Amino acid sequence: MAHTERQNAGPDPRPATRVRPMFHRVLHADPQEVRRALTDLRARFAPAITADTLGRLELVLAEVMNNVAEHSATQGVGSGAMHLCIVMQDGGLSCAITDDGGKLPADCLKPRNLPAIDPLDLPEGGFGWFLIQGLTQSLCYYREDHRNCLAFTVPYQQLS
Amino acid sequence: MPKLIINETEAQMVVIVDEARIDAAIATRFKDRLREIVLRGRKPVQLDMRRVDFMDSSGLGAMIAVRKALPEALPLVLDGLTPNVERVFRLTRMDGVFDIRPVATQQE
Repeated sequence: MAHTERQNAGPDPRPATRVRPMFHRVLHADPQEVRRALTDLRARFAPAITADTLGRLELVLAEVMNNVAEHSATQGVGSGAMHLCIVMQDGGLSCAITDDGGKLPADCLKPRNLPAIDPLDLPEGGFGWFLIQGLTQSLCYYREDHRNCLAFTVPYQQLS
Repeated sequence: MPKLIINETEAQMVVIVDEARIDAAIATRFKDRLREIVLRGRKPVQLDMRRVDFMDSSGLGAMIAVRKALPEALPLVLDGLTPNVERVFRLTRMDGVFDIRPVATQQE
């Protein structure tokens, strides 16, 4: 295909040379490897997005991957590995996390409130999915045979 | 072992959290160690959080467990929260439960 044809290939032609950071990792579902992946991911995206966006991205991915490490990968099924992929697109940072552990309970995806805050008996957990739902857009889940597939978008502010 | 630097005076105990991340990899040990420290001290605690650049919900859970371990009358001040750490407290409404002091330069 000639260069001019590619340029005119759609209603919104874009230069074919645009480079944006992506991140892909296959990791063992344990907290140390999650920490390592997040540290590397931070270095990858730091030049492209604001510190605020980076903090939100890192928090939501930590919550999702720690859930996989804590619940899905500990049920004695699957390889104990998970796949992480992040792509920076015009509409946001598109993230996908898949693993072959136990099925995600349907409850996790239902709209969440904060756990009841009783000052005399504060909740020590139950914040994870609330944070995930609050920090993401287009959160969706698909169970493909023996795999959990979770995808969502994190809106971003680009560094100028 | 989580790195916690303790400076104790008669009136209070200042604990510097010398860890960049309070996450699932460290939360349980962090909780156990800090709880042991504050329970031994039995005096107001100021937690210097300036060096903590990232905290997730397991880290928050550890903080809540430590707060619950202290007698209600004993203050626990979280000082120098970086924006990433402050965000977790704010989004979970725990900023109303804890006495938190974010660092001066806020990004949000």
